[in-house]
Amino acid sequence: MEKTNLEELVYLYTKDLYKWAFHKTSRAEVAEDLVQETFLAAAEKLSSFKEKSSAKTWLFSILNHKIIDFYRKKVNQTISLDNSGLSAYFDDNMDWKMNKRPQNWEENKKHLLDNQDFQEILKQCLEHLPDKWHTCVRLKYLSTKNGKEICQEIGISTTNFWQIIHRAKLKLRDCIETNWLKN
Amino acid sequence: MMKKIMHLLFLSCLKASELIEKDLHLKLRLREKLQLKLHKAMCSTCNRYGKHSILIEKGIHDLQKKEAISVDFKKLEKRIILNLNKG
Repeated sequence: MEKTNLEELVYLYTKDLYKWAFHKTSRAEVAEDLVQETFLAAAEKLSSFKEKSSAKTWLFSILNHKIIDFYRKKVNQTISLDNSGLSAYFDDNMDWKMNKRPQNWEENKKHLLDNQDFQEILKQCLEHLPDKWHTCVRLKYLSTKNGKEICQEIGISTTNFWQIIHRAKLKLRDCIETNWLKN
Repeated sequence: MMKKIMHLLFLSCLKASELIEKDLHLKLRLREKLQLKLHKAMCSTCNRYGKHSILIEKGIHDLQKKEAISVDFKKLEKRIILNLNKG
């Protein structure tokens, strides 16, 4: 395949590739970069492209590797679990601290998630999570894979994975509660 | 002492809330399942934590679906081609 053909592929598939990358990362600028890197990698590997498989499949497989790399790098950068975060929520007996016990959000009302204010608070609180937590919490939704497969893919142990999620949830829940009950 | 025995049998709140998350993402062992069930039956705070947690999960999922795609594809295509030709 020639370079001019690759340009054709850019016009044909950028949109689809971007949509997929965005769906997987939820960040516009990251998705744009990943698509761009995909085409640059494709340019280098042009000779290895076999016309047998479709160009679209080929590009998507490159993109998928880029997405996994993106998450792997992110998680590896920052994995460290200490217990200091937990002592903010639990006392020495490992019971909830009085002032951190989950309060009544009127969570039994079905429409809490339809509430614009609640959605906005959730969004803000998600943004404020430390990067690695944010990544792990999102990963679950960005992938059709189960927890175990995600862990294998990004190279962390399953214990590490749900413990990170646990800490992320504690923080997220606390942030939502503080802001929601203030209203 | 009593507390320790209680924790051993029915989990501490810390452990229970951890298992609530594990349950949402991976599989619990049978023993963990039973312990968590018992703990939640006795502890309204952890029970509520569990409800909040499911709610948050659903909220993130909804948010994800709603986020619109707003990008100028023409611009992106041009940028990619420009970079391709550089290389």
